[in-house]
Amino acid sequence: MTEYAPSLARPGVRTVLSRLEQKLSSERVFGTALIAPMQLLLWFLLIIPTLIVVYLSFVRWEPRMGVDWWSAPFAFLGNYARVITDTRFWAAVGRSTGIVIVAVTMEFLIGMGLAFFFSRPLPGKRIMTSAILYPMMLPWVVVGLCFYLLFLDRGPVNYALTQILNRPINVEWFKHPPLAMATIVLADVWQWTPFLFLILYSGLGALPKEPVEAAMTLGASRWQIFRYITLPMLKPVILIALVIRSLEAFKIFDVVFIMTGGGPGTATETISVYIYRVGFVFGQLSYAAAMAVLILILVTMITRVGVRPLE
Amino acid sequence: MRKMNGSQILASSIRWLIGLLICIVVMLPITWVLSISLKPPEEWVAYPPTLVPLKPTFSNYIILFQPGNPVGGIAEMVSSAEPVTRAFINSLIVVPIATAASVLIGFLASYATVRFQAGGATLPLFVLTTRMFPPVAFAVPLLVYFRMLNLIDTQLALILMYTGFTIAFSLWMMRGFIEGVPRHVEEAAILDGASPWRVLLTITLPLVRGGLAATGLFVFILNWTEFLLAQIFTSREALTIPVQVSHYVGAVGRFYGPMAALGIVASIPVVVAGYIIQRYLVTGFTFGLVRE
Repeated sequence: MTEYAPSLARPGVRTVLSRLEQKLSSERVFGTALIAPMQLLLWFLLIIPTLIVVYLSFVRWEPRMGVDWWSAPFAFLGNYARVITDTRFWAAVGRSTGIVIVAVTMEFLIGMGLAFFFSRPLPGKRIMTSAILYPMMLPWVVVGLCFYLLFLDRGPVNYALTQILNRPINVEWFKHPPLAMATIVLADVWQWTPFLFLILYSGLGALPKEPVEAAMTLGASRWQIFRYITLPMLKPVILIALVIRSLEAFKIFDVVFIMTGGGPGTATETISVYIYRVGFVFGQLSYAAAMAVLILILVTMITRVGVRPLE
Repeated sequence: MRKMNGSQILASSIRWLIGLLICIVVMLPITWVLSISLKPPEEWVAYPPTLVPLKPTFSNYIILFQPGNPVGGIAEMVSSAEPVTRAFINSLIVVPIATAASVLIGFLASYATVRFQAGGATLPLFVLTTRMFPPVAFAVPLLVYFRMLNLIDTQLALILMYTGFTIAFSLWMMRGFIEGVPRHVEEAAILDGASPWRVLLTITLPLVRGGLAATGLFVFILNWTEFLLAQIFTSREALTIPVQVSHYVGAVGRFYGPMAALGIVASIPVVVAGYIIQRYLVTGFTFGLVRE
């Protein structure tokens, strides 16, 4: 009998082990199967295109040349040299960056103000806070259309200014570079302040009440409470919101395309609009590819810096 | 005591008025578009402009779908415009299919990354790179690629791109909902001998139905409003509503009425969807990094 016991135990352990092994391997197979469709898409839309865009950036190729892109002559760093010295490219990068800085700052400040305004009890608050959210749901092209109609030569903005200033105002908003830029920034601020508002408002609502109450009993002023208690507690939420919003604002295309088309001339040409024009209007795809690669590098570097405080 | 009450009431009504004013300022731009969409042609650029149409009409909306219709007497001005019917059909085919595909693929991948860390811990972060860069940067190689595959100006091209470029949102938004499903529920089913597929489909899936719906509506908004890729990859056959809007704005003749009407019609589905998932808007736009 005593001889049997271990021999009985051994297969038992073995079955448990093999079952565990089976389960592990099947779990791995299962997991792999579940992510397979996504990885297929990523290969198809992210990895292979990235390889192609890098390759394209090193050749000289335009669709109208009539040769296949893989047999185009090498330009080596020629495209990149051209981008580096292309003042129009850097002007576009500067404009996109400017929009990020000005628009996102305004969205943050106004959004913060609104969040504080609505954080105190107010009758009808739920309806009001819901009502001001809708711009962020609108199609970007419709936002462009909206501001295009508002700023027409004989549109309501000029009329309102005429009434307020009590003299005829007939500004051609889209024909003056700084004014055209201002309308674009305004459209972005109008559409995306609700996002900053919503995120800060719900962030404020989720904060613990005790620290603020403690500070109040200690006689802290409102500004001190905001500066030393509320703001630090909101910091992670604020950083996430600012990073995401800045990345989005840097891509700005639709509103510009609808309202000014990048004009007058190149005065409102953002980086997305410029790459679009070079690649898809002028048909210089390999040059557009070099710009795209530089933008990928630039955005990655800046995001690294921007994300660091999050970690 | 009474006096203080009075000043309190005054302060609170002033704050209420400010709140109302904020709402009006935010509402004005779209109200103006709505107003133009209901105006006959002679009022489109009438000066001084009026917020309320003097002779309200629906002809702008009718003209959108039937450019030759004599209603409102603008057929001659607008008959050169394309009817928006094709764009609507395209959007109604492309957007739901891409949205369903994105949510389904995103859900499966999300489950695998949350429960088994499938693909490694960095896979979800890697997926985020699809949203980090301007889409125009991907459009350059994709155009080359899709030309080879003969996918230019097809609905399939848009479906593929829309699925791929919203997968990051589906994956990240679903993470929160999946993490909300207690593990022991799944483990109990496994101990009962259920296969992992069975657990996923009969235990987890029903528990995250609400999350799938919220994610689906959010991705629907993104896909319905997408413009840049549609503008580059479609021209006549597969154009979507945002492209149609840009055609109307860019058209010669400046038919502001139909333009505004199209803007309103294009916005209704996404605004409705947005308000249904109002609670999840922050979650969506921040990839679930901030949850309400």
